[in-house]
Amino acid sequence: MGDFFYTVTELTREIKKALEGSDAFTGIWVKGEIYNLTYHSSGHIYFTLKDDNALIAATFFKGANRGLKFRLEEGMQVLALGSVTLFEKRGTYQLNVAQVRPEGIGELQKRIEQLKKKLMAEGLFDPSRKRPLPFLPRRIGIVTSPTGAAVRDIIKVALRRFPNTEILIAPAKVQGEDAPGTIVRAIEELNRPGYGIDLIIAGRGGGSFEDLMPFNEEIVVRAYAASNVPIISAVGHQVDHPLSDEAADYAAPTPSAAAEEALPVKSELADEINYLYLRAEKALSGIMRHSATRLESLTSRPVFTDPARIFAPYEMALADAERGLSDAVNNILAKARERVLGIPDIPLRFSRIMQEKTHRFNRALQSLDQLSPLSVMRRGYSITLDREKRVIRSVSETSEGSSIDVLMRDGSLSCTVDSIQKGDTSGKKEERA
Amino acid sequence: MEKKKKEHEAKVSFEKALENLEEIVSRLETGDLGLEDAIKEFEKGMGLARLCHDKLEEAERKIEILQKGDRGAVEKKEVSVKKETGEIEDDDDLQGSLL
Repeated sequence: MGDFFYTVTELTREIKKALEGSDAFTGIWVKGEIYNLTYHSSGHIYFTLKDDNALIAATFFKGANRGLKFRLEEGMQVLALGSVTLFEKRGTYQLNVAQVRPEGIGELQKRIEQLKKKLMAEGLFDPSRKRPLPFLPRRIGIVTSPTGAAVRDIIKVALRRFPNTEILIAPAKVQGEDAPGTIVRAIEELNRPGYGIDLIIAGRGGGSFEDLMPFNEEIVVRAYAASNVPIISAVGHQVDHPLSDEAADYAAPTPSAAAEEALPVKSELADEINYLYLRAEKALSGIMRHSATRLESLTSRPVFTDPARIFAPYEMALADAERGLSDAVNNILAKARERVLGIPDIPLRFSRIMQEKTHRFNRALQSLDQLSPLSVMRRGYSITLDREKRVIRSVSETSEGSSIDVLMRDGSLSCTVDSIQKGDTSGKKEERA
Repeated sequence: MEKKKKEHEAKVSFEKALENLEEIVSRLETGDLGLEDAIKEFEKGMGLARLCHDKLEEAERKIEILQKGDRGAVEKKEVSVKKETGEIEDDDDLQGSLL
């Protein structure tokens, strides 16, 4: 007998230290079958993991198993992440579990990780490859099952946002073994230029990890990356992004969200145009009023009002110009309003104001044509051009002997300047109406 | 001439036209423009507003699905949907894929 001995407690503690302090037994994945499963009323889960030759007790405490997304079952093959601990009082060791995954999924996830690394190295997921989505797509292509929830959600949202949307569905199976091939085929088909598709939404509604597997398949991910048409990955998911998200130009968390992203709200755009329109109109009438005021202050000067005889013809011209100006304001606004107001889908509050305005300005519409140079010419005015087709506004812009063209409403005259009289005939015409 | 203009308009995107319209409105609102230029700008803006409006109406509401015809060629088939649910009304006889 030696002099040195351990007490049982001391030995147990040494073993515990060795076990729990070792990286080899900490944070490890253990594969096995669930056996002797107990869901305890305290919230803790107890089971044994076993394979053909061995077993180990496992504790899966309440705090850790709260995140478990499925129910453990007797006989289930799992991968358990945990650390080996020792329970001194009983002299037993067990796996203290932090996380459990169905074993099949563990394998799949490993494969996905590997594929992700490979495709990333090829540059398939580079942010620089991602194209901006078209602002206003005219024709949208959808790749999904024609009978699933995804196609309904996309159509519903698309029609709500933009009622006259053109949609072309390329049907594909979105789960099962032959799904990947059909998805690839559908994406390729929609890429044919003949269809004129501006944007593709490809995906499916949410499902289990295995359900979403087709969107992790290499040929599918490559088809997203190869699409010439900008493409949105629309696979319903909560935690793990499918690889199609990485390869697409835009990744939406659900099919509905994809449709939201794909299409603007038409009525909002129509409002925006109308609003810009009203602002332009207001600004223009301000400028026009300003010009009219200047004109008026000119005409009220004594030189115009007093020796009325000399200037009488010009005063008339001025009055005419003034009228023309105010017509101009009304007419341009009227025409413009009428054009813009053709836009449907204006919310009610908007459209009532608009209707009133349209009505008011419609009456001014008929005289609109008077504004154009052509109708001015119809009233007897003409335009004088030099050889380079520039408008001659002053006698100083031409010289005796020059060739000039005089445009009239029904043709033009080619003339030569015989003589030039400088004078005051155009004094006021500088304020052109 | 008219045709050329149409072609040009087809190429200008809605986004670009809206952007130009915004610029014109800002220019008008600064009040720096002379009357003649203001009217020109305004008319340009009017054209752009019209163009935007036309672009919004360009597409027609139409929902089609691709199906493989008897000889294997892919054909378009128009379907009707319920607007509230987005459901395709006669989805019973639809093929599930193009393969």
